[in-house]
Amino acid sequence: MISAKNISKKYNGTQVLKDVSLEIADGEFVVILGASGAGKSTLLSVLSGLEKADSGSIDCNGTLLETLDDDGLTAFRKREVGFIFQQYYLLPHLNVDNNVKLGAALAGNKNYAEIIEAVGLKDKLKNSPSELSGGEQQRVCIARALAKNPNVLYLDEPTGALDETTGREVLDYILKLQSERGFTMIMVTHNVNIADTAETVIKMNSGKITEVYKNSTRKNAYEIGW
Amino acid sequence: MVVSVKDGLKLIGVTIICFCAVFVCTFMLNYYIDVKPLGAGIVDTELSALYFAQVAMAKFTSIITGGVLGVIAAVMLVFYVKLYIDGRSQQLGIIKAMGYSRIKIALGFWVFGLSVFIGCALGFAAGWASMDMIYGSMTIDGVDEITPSFHAWLMFALVLAPAAVFTALACGYAYFALRRPVMQLIRGASKMRAYKSDKSGKDRNFLTEMSLKTLGSKKLLVFFIAFSCFCFSAMVQMGLSIEDLASATMGYMILAIGLILAAVTMIMSITSLINSNAKNIALMKAFGYTKTQRTLSVLGGFIPFAFVGFVVGTVYQYGLLKIMVNVLFADVAEVPDYNFNVPVFFITFAAFVVCYTATAALYSMVLNRFSVKKIMTEI
Repeated sequence: MISAKNISKKYNGTQVLKDVSLEIADGEFVVILGASGAGKSTLLSVLSGLEKADSGSIDCNGTLLETLDDDGLTAFRKREVGFIFQQYYLLPHLNVDNNVKLGAALAGNKNYAEIIEAVGLKDKLKNSPSELSGGEQQRVCIARALAKNPNVLYLDEPTGALDETTGREVLDYILKLQSERGFTMIMVTHNVNIADTAETVIKMNSGKITEVYKNSTRKNAYEIGW
Repeated sequence: MVVSVKDGLKLIGVTIICFCAVFVCTFMLNYYIDVKPLGAGIVDTELSALYFAQVAMAKFTSIITGGVLGVIAAVMLVFYVKLYIDGRSQQLGIIKAMGYSRIKIALGFWVFGLSVFIGCALGFAAGWASMDMIYGSMTIDGVDEITPSFHAWLMFALVLAPAAVFTALACGYAYFALRRPVMQLIRGASKMRAYKSDKSGKDRNFLTEMSLKTLGSKKLLVFFIAFSCFCFSAMVQMGLSIEDLASATMGYMILAIGLILAAVTMIMSITSLINSNAKNIALMKAFGYTKTQRTLSVLGGFIPFAFVGFVVGTVYQYGLLKIMVNVLFADVAEVPDYNFNVPVFFITFAAFVVCYTATAALYSMVLNRFSVKKIMTEI
């Protein structure tokens, strides 16, 4: 369970988050939707312990993030959190196997090969990131994030750098793995169609939550518009 | 202008190395030129032996210092130019796409020669400023006292010529590096360097793999880090051991130059290493790797090479002093035999471990400052 109360955050004098409160249940898939500059990526980084809020309180599975120092936040992220970024951020000098190992080693996960297989990259184990397509690189990111067995997976525009076909394919992998494994998933996107795949949608504008709604039926990656 | 004067002046490492090289070469070569005519007038055999040994030492020191530091400065200059081109390949690609010729763009890199010129000019001035003191410490009893004379060609050889050669080197290397196709430059191909498939099949611990791959991708920095440790080891031990063979002033000078070179090379190497790994470090932090793990993944692989540099420096200084005593001063009476100075070795080793551990700890703090948000927003 993730509970955030009255979160505020300022950058260089600009109020990026204004008194944001939300609750996310275990195993829930939440999409945070908003235009560029709405504060959604900042909310994601504050909820995931990448940075601290200026004020307010965040309780993530019993850990109060505002009480943690830098080392404490590092330990929290190690224990609880997985990340998938828009720009992949794979380590260019390591092959697929070792990039996934970056996540697996933290959790002592020796069986990470099954995740690489699940994202369809079994035959690319020894390839370097520069030898992979954008979609394949993002699938390595998915495997890397899941290999550390996170309780909560944070995704920042995971399909933002991909074309429609590849984007659908990657989204499909993410949705399937979430439904199989049951981890909590919080995805930031500006694509309104992707919101149709989530259980809960949080709309943001100018640093505030403007609307929260639940989808009665969820669509899969190939049913939504793009 | 392709490269701004400000960019050219950022090569402080090259400036300092050139300063040290020219500083030593200025007073040694000036002394060599001024003292040489006196040789014919010395009739006493023992005095003559001491005189020729002193002259040979001046020549020998200039060649070794100028040669070694000149090569290091050249490698460092090329390294900086490469970093500059890699960091700005997009802008350079756009300039090339607009129709500027490769040679025209490459000629803009002349600015990097400025740092060499400044280092050499300051080194020459400092060498001249300390000339009286050096001449005083090298005076041989029984030989006429000499006063420093200005030799214009020496200024040309130690200031203008190196600046011209290094400027040509910077432009030449830039010309070579800019041969890449325009689109490759615009896409920043060097940033997204194409690493080949790793088919080694070795199943290593992630942190070991990370530090080995970091090491493999930064081979030139292995050389600089080993050179830094070499300078520390060789020149600190030489500076502390040389008092029986030369003046205390010379010992302090060697010690100071060694420490400056070691510090400059180490700071330049680690700063470059950390900057090029900033994203990887931030990503590891985001995933939850501890400060120690992050530091070791970047710096750990270089530790054995630091020790290799120290050992080579120890052997080098011992060999050099032994040659000086057994060859250059072989015919001079009352020159003590030179043996390996064990206490100085242990003192230097202890200082080396303390200094380099402190450097690693300092940079560990720097690594910890990398904002994990930075990799999400790419600020």
